[in-house]
Amino acid sequence: MFDFQLINGLAGLLIVTSLLVILSRGPANSARFYALQSFILVLTFLALAKETGSRELYLWSASAFVTKVILVPAIMYRAFSKLDDPRLGSGETMSPAVSVILAAGVVILCFWVVSGVALPAAEAIKPALAVSLAHFFLGLACIVTQRNILKQVFGYCLMENGSHLTLALLAAKAPELVEVGIATDAIFAVAIMAMLGTRIFLTFHSLDARKLTTLKG
Amino acid sequence: MVFSNLPLLILFGPLLAALAILLVPSRGFGLRLIELIHTVSIAAVAVLALAIASDVVDGAHLTAFDDWFAVDALGAIFVSVIGVVGFLTGLYSLSYIRHELRDGELDPAKVKSYYGFFSLFLFTMVLATIANNIVLMWVAIEATTLGSAFLVGCYGRKSSLEAAWKYVIICTVGVAFGLYGTVLAYANASDVLGNADSAILWTTLAAHATALDPMLAKLSFVFVLIGFGTKAGLFPMSAWLPDAHSEAPSPVSALLSGVLLKCALLVVIRYYAITVRAVGPEFPQMIVLILGTLSILVAAPLFFVQKDLKRKLAYSSIEHVGLIAVGLGVGGPLGVAAALLHAINHSLAKALMFCGSGNVLMKFHTRDLDRVKGLMRVAPVSGVLLLFGCLALAGLPPFNVFVSEFMVFTAGMKAGYLWLMLLCALFFTITVAGFIQIVAGSVLGKAADATPEGDVGVAALAPMGILLVLVIVTGVTIPGPILRLVGDATAIVTGDSTPVAFAMPWATQAAPAEVALAGPQLHTETKR
Repeated sequence: MFDFQLINGLAGLLIVTSLLVILSRGPANSARFYALQSFILVLTFLALAKETGSRELYLWSASAFVTKVILVPAIMYRAFSKLDDPRLGSGETMSPAVSVILAAGVVILCFWVVSGVALPAAEAIKPALAVSLAHFFLGLACIVTQRNILKQVFGYCLMENGSHLTLALLAAKAPELVEVGIATDAIFAVAIMAMLGTRIFLTFHSLDARKLTTLKG
Repeated sequence: MVFSNLPLLILFGPLLAALAILLVPSRGFGLRLIELIHTVSIAAVAVLALAIASDVVDGAHLTAFDDWFAVDALGAIFVSVIGVVGFLTGLYSLSYIRHELRDGELDPAKVKSYYGFFSLFLFTMVLATIANNIVLMWVAIEATTLGSAFLVGCYGRKSSLEAAWKYVIICTVGVAFGLYGTVLAYANASDVLGNADSAILWTTLAAHATALDPMLAKLSFVFVLIGFGTKAGLFPMSAWLPDAHSEAPSPVSALLSGVLLKCALLVVIRYYAITVRAVGPEFPQMIVLILGTLSILVAAPLFFVQKDLKRKLAYSSIEHVGLIAVGLGVGGPLGVAAALLHAINHSLAKALMFCGSGNVLMKFHTRDLDRVKGLMRVAPVSGVLLLFGCLALAGLPPFNVFVSEFMVFTAGMKAGYLWLMLLCALFFTITVAGFIQIVAGSVLGKAADATPEGDVGVAALAPMGILLVLVIVTGVTIPGPILRLVGDATAIVTGDSTPVAFAMPWATQAAPAEVALAGPQLHTETKR
């Protein structure tokens, strides 16, 4: 029981780190917080692996550490620290206070949705499950509310972390290859977004999503 | 289920071709070699796709790699579409891309990447259609975005970069919903079945769907529909589509609209089949019907007001995907069969029209319909092809779109959706008006004196000619193999092998000629 509390607690920390990713100034800082968040995710996987005795989850923790704590943040840090659009500032469209209240609303709503799930496997870890769902929607909110196109990439990463946690919570014994597939896709996605973002910066001299308005109708 | 090497061959053929192309230098003789590898790649995909389809028509259910790959009748339809449309648009590319190279729109390095990514894109789409592992299915759809992002932003202009960015962000975010839905479906099955390895297979999920937790099954379907529906171009998630379709090189637009949207639809259909079994047909049908109808109602007026030929065609794609969704939403064997047939027919007709838009670009260097006038006079063969393409997409007989459109409407009316079908039909008349405008102004009309006369080369016209022949043949009759595949696929989707009564719309005498089929029986009414 204690360990399930640990899992739920770690999952709660994920929400805090997502807010840090979303609200921090500059994409390079967000990359650091993203690495921190992924590290907490790996700890959650480890706690879950110990509790469920799943060999696959230990493997996941290792591969998630390599891909999410090291590779993806490194790609983003390298690509994004060269790009800076001072006119854009942090790129938020709403104040941090409103963002935090909105996040709280999302979490409450997700608790309510998850309470309707009747799977036996989900019984002890419902708070963590609600957090993983909320995490997914926080990522979406980040993409919708951010004007900085690089911050939108982080939104995608948060969504991906959310679904990854849900998978680990609900199907701890999923084959390792599944996890590798998801992680590889995420690396390619981030690499391609970083490449496109760089080309857009070089062409438009801006990272502002509102300047991408040539195509209409 | 029969083990076969064909799924692995069709999968890894284009992947190897893509890698080979990326290794060849782009200067001098290298470009010819790249074109050769590209041609071999698209031809191999076409031949293997048809071989797979032929095996499936004969009743085989092909599997490979521990059932991670499987081709049933449903998959075979979409594999064939990739094979045929991929081959013809790939063939058209040869002429189109040479023209762009001559005009300085592309440089040799970009041409090399174009062909490399073209084969890679084919690989990802084939993967999406033959994956039986649901996580692999998701990986494949996500990979189609990543594989085609370069193709969309190929020209490197401001507008194409913008289109590529929107495409990547909207689709990866959309498909992230698909991942969540996939995870929910898998977790649900793994918990119920107690076997983590087989719960990941679509075939297992479909076979044990009745045991799934209904709440999770519904939640999973909603996520999947939002996710893969984004990629399929369903409103309101279709914001990326007009930009990506209009900014990509024309053969790629043809591939995006004709094939990619259908691959995403296939995944939606696969989950639709699971959900129908798990919670009954009402819930999935209702939400698919709502999204389908909205897509038609929104896309038709937007189609009409566009001045850009390729944007117009893109909105028409949203409308037709909407109609396919309406067919699924109406449900029942007839609705599902009509939807599947429309998916095939629209692919062929839309590929023809997007290639036609490529001819327009080669002749007029613009997509602005106010400046494209008198195609028939300056390039008669292109003019005729575009004329027939417009009439086909407008839904007039004797072209294939008419047949399947009519079937969707008939299925809807038989299912009791009279008013809804009339509303949809009304909006489709707006489309007819839009296409007639294109015909009257741009195809016929009077060409500006400055426009040089002379058609584009045979290499560009031949693939379009073949597409037109296919559009007409499938408009006059539903060929036996297609009938068989659609019938079997319908049974897979509905999980019910009740006979489907197909009728060619102009059959005056109701004279059912039974076609003997193993598995689901199809009764057809054919013209006497």
